[in-house]
Parts: sequence; C-alpha cells; structure tokens
Amino acid sequence: MSLIPVPIQLHQKGPQTLGISWSDGVESEYAVRDLRLNCRCAHCVDEWTAEKRLDPATVPMDVRPKKIEPVGRYAIRFVWSDGHDTGIYTFDLLRKLANPN
Amino acid sequence: MEVFFRSKNNVTESGILKVLSQVMDPDLGKDIVTLGFIKNLKIEESKVTFSVELTTPACPVKEDLKKQCEDLVRGLEGVESVEVTMTAQVRQAYVAPSKLALPGVKNVIAIASGKGGVGKSTVTANLAVALAKAGAKVGLMDADIYGPSIPLMFGITDKPMMEGDTVIPVEKHGVRIISMGFFIPEDQPVVWRGPMVHGALTQFLTQVKWGDLDYLLIDMPPGTGDAQLTISQNAPLSGAVIVTTPQQVSLIDARKGLKMFQSVQVPVLGVVENMSGFVFGRGGGQKLAEESGVPFLGSIPIDPRVVESGDSGTPVVESFSSSESGNAFRTLASRVAAELSIAHARYHTPVAKDLSMEWQS
Repeated sequence: MSLIPVPIQLHQKGPQTLGISWSDGVESEYAVRDLRLNCRCAHCVDEWTAEKRLDPATVPMDVRPKKIEPVGRYAIRFVWSDGHDTGIYTFDLLRKLANPN
Repeated sequence: MEVFFRSKNNVTESGILKVLSQVMDPDLGKDIVTLGFIKNLKIEESKVTFSVELTTPACPVKEDLKKQCEDLVRGLEGVESVEVTMTAQVRQAYVAPSKLALPGVKNVIAIASGKGGVGKSTVTANLAVALAKAGAKVGLMDADIYGPSIPLMFGITDKPMMEGDTVIPVEKHGVRIISMGFFIPEDQPVVWRGPMVHGALTQFLTQVKWGDLDYLLIDMPPGTGDAQLTISQNAPLSGAVIVTTPQQVSLIDARKGLKMFQSVQVPVLGVVENMSGFVFGRGGGQKLAEESGVPFLGSIPIDPRVVESGDSGTPVVESFSSSESGNAFRTLASRVAAELSIAHARYHTPVAKDLSMEWQS
C-alpha cells in the first residue's frame, strides 16, 4: 500500500528560498521564482491548449511570496509580491518540482 | 507433574502478544498487535484481561475479532480465564491545518451525488443515525442550501440556540444537526449567487459549535459547482461517499462528482446504490465503483417505509430498525467507517504544522 506524502512544515530558508519537510522524511528546497514561473493557473497556462502563457521576462527577478496558505488537503496557495495570487500548487506538483527525475 | 509446570510464570505478555498477532484486521490488512490495538493487558495468575481498541465503534467484524482473541489466548498453557473488552477510538484524519480546521471533529465526510433526487439526504440521515447507534459521536451539516430536507427527516421544528456569534446544533436521534433550513422559511425559494453560497457555507464551517465528534457528515448540494468546490477546498474533508441510483442518467453525474473529489485529493470512500430493485434496476453502482477503482459500499433496497419514515421525522434505521433497509443502512455505516480507517492508513500520521506562513522580507 503506497503512502501519500504530505507536507508537514514550510520553512523560509532565505530571502528567496522555500523549504518543505514532508511526512515521509524528505526535505525539499525551492527557489521561489521557479515556483512562480511554474504556476499552473489559467492566467499562466492556457486551459484548453495547455500552452504556457506566462512570459518569464514579466516576472521580477526578486519576486517573493507575501504569504502562503493551505488549500483543502491537497495544495497550498501563494500570494506573490508581483500581485499574482490565483495559482494553486498541489502537493503532487510540489513533489514533482522537487524531484525532476 | 503437569499441574506443577502450569504455574503463573508460564503466562507471559510476549506469549500472549505472539498468539494475538495471528488476528488480522481484515480492512487494514495488518495484525491487531502491529496496529497497536491491544491495550491494558493484565495477567493475574491464570487470568488474562485486555482490551482491543478498534478504529471505529461501527466495526463490522467486532464480535468475530473478540472471539478469535478469546480462543487464542485461552488456548495458551496456564491460562484459565480470558476477559476481552472491545473499545473504539476513532482516529483523527490527516488534514492540512487551516483557519477552517474544526477543532474536536475527528473526521469530516462529504455525502455527495452528481444529480439531485437520488435520495442523498435520506442516505445521509440514516447513515448518521446508524453511526450514532453504534456508539459514535455524530454531527450532520445539511449543506444542501437549495433544498434543505434534513430538518423534515429528523422532525426538527425548533430553531438552534445561539451563543454569542456561534450556533449550537440541534440534537435529535443522537445526532447533532445544523441546516440552512433552520434559517429560512420553508415555503420560500432560496436564490443564491456564488459569493453568497461561499459566505453561507463558510459560516457553517466556522460558526457552529460542534463539540467533540467522531464523524461529521456533510449532506452536499447536488452537482459539481461553486458550493461543492467551496466545501472541498475549505472544509477539512477526510473522505467522500458518492450516492447514485442504478439509472444511467444518475450514474453519469455520479461519475462527475467522483472525479471532482479525486481531483482535489479527497479520498472517495466508495459508491452507494440507492433505490436498488425492480423499479430502477440494480448493479449500476457496483459497475461505477469498479470502473473508477473505488470500493462499492452496498445497495439500499427500494422500500416505501424509507420514504414514509423520512417524511414522519424518524429515519428508517430508527423506526424500522430490523427491516431490510434498516440492516442495509447499518451495513453501510460499518463499511463507511472501515473505508475511512483504510484511507487513514494510507496517509502518514497527522503531525502537520499549520501550513500558513507570512514571508519575511
């Protein structure tokens, strides 16, 4: 039976680095701008064609989260310093972004 | 000589745990010693007492497990009497803590259907009463804001009491109940716009004083729209039960409901086929469950007494407890509780910290 890992704690590791401790003991680290660039919301990724609509050049190099909130039992949401706040990051996506292999 | 060797020293805790580890929990697929169910083990000379703490008072194989434990321990050399007490401690579900976390509520279960008119509220009402009768602490939140029918089914005419800003649920047939029906006149249609739906449901989740509950059942509004999404994203759901009738038209919508919960990572505990029988046919619910890879929780036979009991304010599991429908609802309650325990076992222990944070710049 496979156990589904869930985040148990978020840590701010630097001005632009987020750390997540997972229930299975994995520790992952993210450059927050990469997370912003990987936003899957309808503004950033076309809902029908799945084509990426977000131009990385429009995202400030010093973008940071203002705050992070849990969504249901499957995701977290970021309110970003560039005003963007519609992206929902599922735990599944966060695991994939942490382990690209 | 034999009598001499059967001294108290022969009966050891490890010996008892060793034989008890042969007893399997059929739902969780592990033995009851590994699962940590054995509590308060005492050995006094040739007398052994212990309790077995299950994950739900509605365990379908409670008596069977008890007998297995008694027989195995009695078979040990030196044991003359065995006393086994069956208890239950409903496990707290894993939920990402949020401002809408419901303190004291161990499990929140959404009862949903894609389509209206499949008897979702009837199933919810009977499920709630069956769990309460099994000994669990149960709450019922009637979130069907368009057509709240729970007050009628429980025969509630009283308005809930207020305590400052919070609402105290009305208790009936052993279930603590809150419904939008308490707050709107019966003969007035409710026209809800999106933001109002969100606001009303959020109030239900935050301003009701539920107290300690093992299970809070949410009677969901039909469909897969705003209201459903509000609840699945904001309520700390531990699982969802999908209600359908055997008809194709109902099954198509049930499949949509099922997919919605799966897309937000709420475990689907299974599918119930309501109104099963010669009028609408049977078997559709089971097929849907199989196709979707979720458990089939059982069929509720079509029975006029179910409807009459609902209309008269006493759910059938109370008014005709030993009828075929009454039995079907009791079996359903056991299945739901068991599937919930299985779903818990798939997640890690609930040690999550609050996942909200303010970024320091």
